[in-house]
Amino acid sequence: MADWKELEAKSFYEATARERAIGMVDEGTWTELAGPKDRLTSPHLPVLGEAVEFDDGVVTGVGLVGKHPVFVASQEGKFIGGAVGEVHGAKIVGAFLLANQVYDKIMAECPDEIEERRPAVVISFETGGVRLHESNAGLLAHAEFMDQIQGSKGKFPVFAVIGSKVGAFGGMGFVAAATDVIIMNTYGRLGLTGPEVIEQEMGKAEFDSADKALVYRTTGARHKYIMRDANYLVEDTIGAFHDCIGEVMDLGYAAIEKMRRIGNEELVDEQLALAELSVELHPKDSRDVWAYYGNENPEQLTEITTAEFLATAKRRP
Amino acid sequence: MALQELTYTFEAANPQPFPVEWMHSGVVGSGDMEVMFTKEDLGGKVNFKIVTPVTGFDEVWSRVLQKFVNESGISDVNVEINDNNATPVVVSMRLRQALQDAKKEA
Amino acid sequence: MTTATTKVWDTLLRDAKERLADAQPYVKEGKVVAAEDAVKLLEAVIRPGDKVNIEGDNQKQADFLAECLCKVDPAKVHDLHMVQSVLSLSSHMDIFEKGIAKKVDFSFSGPQGGRLAEFVNEGKIELGSIHTYLELYGRYYMDLTPRVALCVGYQADKNGNLYTGFNTEDTPVIAEATKFRQGIVIAQVNEIVDELPRIDIPGDWVDFVIQSPKPFYCEPLFTRDPALITDSQILRAMMVIKGIYAEYGIQRLNHGVGFDTAAIELLLPTYGEELGLKGKICNRFILNPHPCLIPAIESGWVESIHSFGGEIGMDKYVKARPDVFFIGPDGDMRSNRCYSQMAGHYAIDCFIGGTLQIDKYGNSSTATATRIAGFGGAPNMGCDAKGRRHATGAWTKCGEEYAMGPELYGDMPRGKRLVVQLQETFREKLAPGFVDQLDAVKLQKTANLDIPPVMIYSDDLTHIVTEEGIAYLHKCGSMAEKMAAIRAVAGFTKVGLEEDPAETEKLREKGIFKTAEDLGVDVSKANRNLLAAKTVHDLVDWSGGLYNPPAKFRNW
Repeated sequence: MADWKELEAKSFYEATARERAIGMVDEGTWTELAGPKDRLTSPHLPVLGEAVEFDDGVVTGVGLVGKHPVFVASQEGKFIGGAVGEVHGAKIVGAFLLANQVYDKIMAECPDEIEERRPAVVISFETGGVRLHESNAGLLAHAEFMDQIQGSKGKFPVFAVIGSKVGAFGGMGFVAAATDVIIMNTYGRLGLTGPEVIEQEMGKAEFDSADKALVYRTTGARHKYIMRDANYLVEDTIGAFHDCIGEVMDLGYAAIEKMRRIGNEELVDEQLALAELSVELHPKDSRDVWAYYGNENPEQLTEITTAEFLATAKRRP
Repeated sequence: MALQELTYTFEAANPQPFPVEWMHSGVVGSGDMEVMFTKEDLGGKVNFKIVTPVTGFDEVWSRVLQKFVNESGISDVNVEINDNNATPVVVSMRLRQALQDAKKEA
Repeated sequence: MTTATTKVWDTLLRDAKERLADAQPYVKEGKVVAAEDAVKLLEAVIRPGDKVNIEGDNQKQADFLAECLCKVDPAKVHDLHMVQSVLSLSSHMDIFEKGIAKKVDFSFSGPQGGRLAEFVNEGKIELGSIHTYLELYGRYYMDLTPRVALCVGYQADKNGNLYTGFNTEDTPVIAEATKFRQGIVIAQVNEIVDELPRIDIPGDWVDFVIQSPKPFYCEPLFTRDPALITDSQILRAMMVIKGIYAEYGIQRLNHGVGFDTAAIELLLPTYGEELGLKGKICNRFILNPHPCLIPAIESGWVESIHSFGGEIGMDKYVKARPDVFFIGPDGDMRSNRCYSQMAGHYAIDCFIGGTLQIDKYGNSSTATATRIAGFGGAPNMGCDAKGRRHATGAWTKCGEEYAMGPELYGDMPRGKRLVVQLQETFREKLAPGFVDQLDAVKLQKTANLDIPPVMIYSDDLTHIVTEEGIAYLHKCGSMAEKMAAIRAVAGFTKVGLEEDPAETEKLREKGIFKTAEDLGVDVSKANRNLLAAKTVHDLVDWSGGLYNPPAKFRNW
C-alpha cells in the first residue's frame, strides 16, 4: 500500500486534520464518527455570514493502535484557525464519552486485559482556543474538556499531540497542559496568550511577534521539551507521532500517569519552584534558561536537526 | 451579511455515473472550499448547492460548475459545496481533484 | 584671441569647496563625522533648491541619514528636489511634510504609495516623473545629477573608502554621478574600521563618513516562504516550465519577485528533472539570491547568477558557491543594481513575473487608483530591448514566431525577447486579474500624472500564463486576435466571459492558446508534494545549513 506509506511519511506540519487523524492509528482501522457526511455544521456561523464546514473544523473518530482503541479528535487550523465552537466542542467531548464507555465495557467483560486493551484519547491540537463567533458555547466546551480530562484519571490516558501550523494557544493551551502526555514535533507551539496579543498588550519591546524565531524559541517544542512541558519530541512525520503513541501505550498506565506535569502537590511545588527560579534568573530569552540547564551552545539548539537535538540537549532535571 | 445559498442544476452531454456512493474532499480555509458528492438517481442531472459568504458571483459559479459538468460528464449526483472565498480556479481544481480521488477509490 | 570678460569654468568646484569648508567644524579624524553632528553637517553642505539623493532601494536604506535630513532647520534647508530610487521609508515623506523638500523624481514608492498620492493631491509635493531604475540612473548623468548624495554601506575607513559588499546595489552609480559633477557624497556605515575587506567605493569619491547608531535597514524582499505556495501557483509553474521554458529552451532569464516565480524555482529539481530539462533551461539568471533557488542550485541547474542586491541571510551560502555568484577578491559577493538591470535589459532571453491587472489589450500594471507606486526595475526586464543585436536560440525562435514582425520590418530575420506575465484570473478577495481598463488610468487622473503608469506594454508582452492556459500573444497577427487570446486565458472574469468558444478553438488550432491538457500538464499532480522545499527550514537543509533566514521567517 503505497498510499499508507506515503501518509505515514507525510509531514505532520503540512497535513490536514483528517490526514493526521487517519495516520495516527494503525492502517485500515480508522472510522470517522460525526464526519462530513453527518453535516454537523455550526448553527451560529451562518447568521454572521461566516463560512461553515461539514465537520465544524474537527475530525473525530476511532481506530486501533495495537489492541488499544484510540479515540482521536483532530483540529483543522485552516477552518477559522481551529477555534472551538459549539459543535466542534461537543464532538471532542463525544470522543471522551465513547472512550469512557469502551473503558467501562472492557472492565466489565475482560478486566484482566485492561492493560493491553486500555483505550486512549488523542487530541491533535491546532487552535487558538475559543471561537469568538460562538464564545459562550466555546468557553463551555473548554470547561467540559477539563472536566472530561479530570474524569479520565485512573481510567485511560489523554494525549496532546501538537505540531501543526496554528499551534495550541488560548484556552486550549490550558487543556493541552492538563493532558497526561504531550508529544510535539519541532514545529509545534504551545502557550496561553498568543504572541500577537502579548505584543499588543505589553509592547514590541516586550515581545516582538513578527520575530518568528523569538516566538518559536519561547513557545516552540524545543523549549517545551527542555523545560519538560512536553514529554516527547518527535520527527515531523505523521508516522512518528503514530509510533510514539504506540510506544507510550506499551509503557503501561502507571508509567503514563507519571508523565503529567500537574495534578498533585509535588508537581505544584515543582512548578512553583520554577516560578521562583524565573524571578531569580530573570532570563531575557529562553536561551538563558537553556544555558542554565547546562546547554553550552544554546543558540545552536534551534539550528540542529531533531535527532541531533534529542542526542545533545540537556533538559530540566 | 448572512450566508447565502446558491443552487444549480446541470446535465452533461455525455453522462457518466459517479464512481462511488459518496466522496468528500477539501477544507474550508480562507480562499478554499470543501465539496461533498452524494450519488442519487436524478434522471441524469447534477444538483449543486453552494453555501458561501460571497455575493455577486452567481453567474461565475454557474459558468464554472457547468464547465466542470461538461468536461467531466458526471451525472446523477448531488454536489454540496461549502465555500470561503475560493477563486474560480480553486473551485475547478478542487472539483477535479475530488473526482479523481473518487475514481481512485472506486 | 582675447575676450572682455573672463568666463568662469569651475563654479561647481568652487561651490563644493565652499560647502566643504562650512562642514570642517564637524569633521573629526580624516573624513569621519560623529553621528550626533550629522544634522549640522547636512545643514552645512546642503543649500536650498539642491538636488539631493537619499540612497535606498527595495532592499538597503540610508535610513539614518534620511532621519537626519528630517531634522534639519527648514529655514536653512528647503525646496530640495529629491532624486532617488525609492520613497519607501516614512522619513522619505516626512521631509516633504516639514517643508524641507518640494519636488521628487523617483522610480518606486512601495509602502509610501498611498501617502505620496495624498501629498500630491494636497500640493505638498511636486511630482517630477516616475522612472524605471535604469532610466533614473541615466538621468543622474544628464539633468538629475545629485548635488548631495546620502549613501550607505557596511564599513568605511577614516579616509572615506567604503565597503558596501553583498549589498552594493545602487551606491556606485549614485556616488560616481555625484562626485564627478563635483557634488558632495556622505555615507552612513555600520562601523568605521582601520582595514576594509575590500574597497567598493574609493575614498576620494566620498567626502564624509558617519557611523550610524544602528545598522542600516534592509528588507528581505526576495524571500518567499515555500509554506505559502498554493496549488494554483504550482499549476501555473508547471505550465511555464513545459509550455515556455522547455518550448523555447530558455537558458538566460530573470525571475520577478513573487510566489509564482518561487514555485517555478522549487519545481526545477522535481518537475523539471522529471521532464529531463536539466542543462537545457534556466542555466543563467539575473536575480537576487532568492532562497527558493537553493534547491535548483544545489541540484546543479544553475551556472551563473548576477544580483541586483543581496538578500538577508544568503551571504554565507553565496560565498560558499563562488562558481555560481559574482564574488570579490575578498570572497564576498558584490551586487550592482545598475549592471544587473543592464544585463536584465540586454542579455536575458526571458523575463517572467506577476502583475496585478492586465487589460483587454494586454497592457499590465501593478498601479491601483489610490497609490502612486512606480515599478522600479520591472519595465527594464519586462520589455524587448530595441538595442539588442546578439542572437540566442530562444530569442530567435520567439522572433520567428512573431506574427507582426513582417508588418514592422519586412522579411528581415530578427529575434524577440520573451516577456511573460503570470496571472491568477481572480486574486485574493476575488479581485479580477483581467480588466476592461487598468486602475492606472484612474490613477493618472486622480494624481494628475502625465501618462497612466503602465508596467509592461502590450507590444512587449509575449505570453500570459493563467490557470486556464498560456496565451502566445506574439503569434497573433492583429490586435483583434490578441484580444481574443487574452479572453481565452482570462477565465471567468468579465473580460473572459466575453470569450467566443469557436474563436478560442481556432486559437488552439493555431497554437496561440494552449490549455494545461494541450501542454500535457497533468493538473491532478499540481499540488505541494511537487515542491523541492515545502518550508523555509527545508531551504536551510538544502543549503547544508549555510542559509541563515531572517528571524521573521524562522518557525523553529
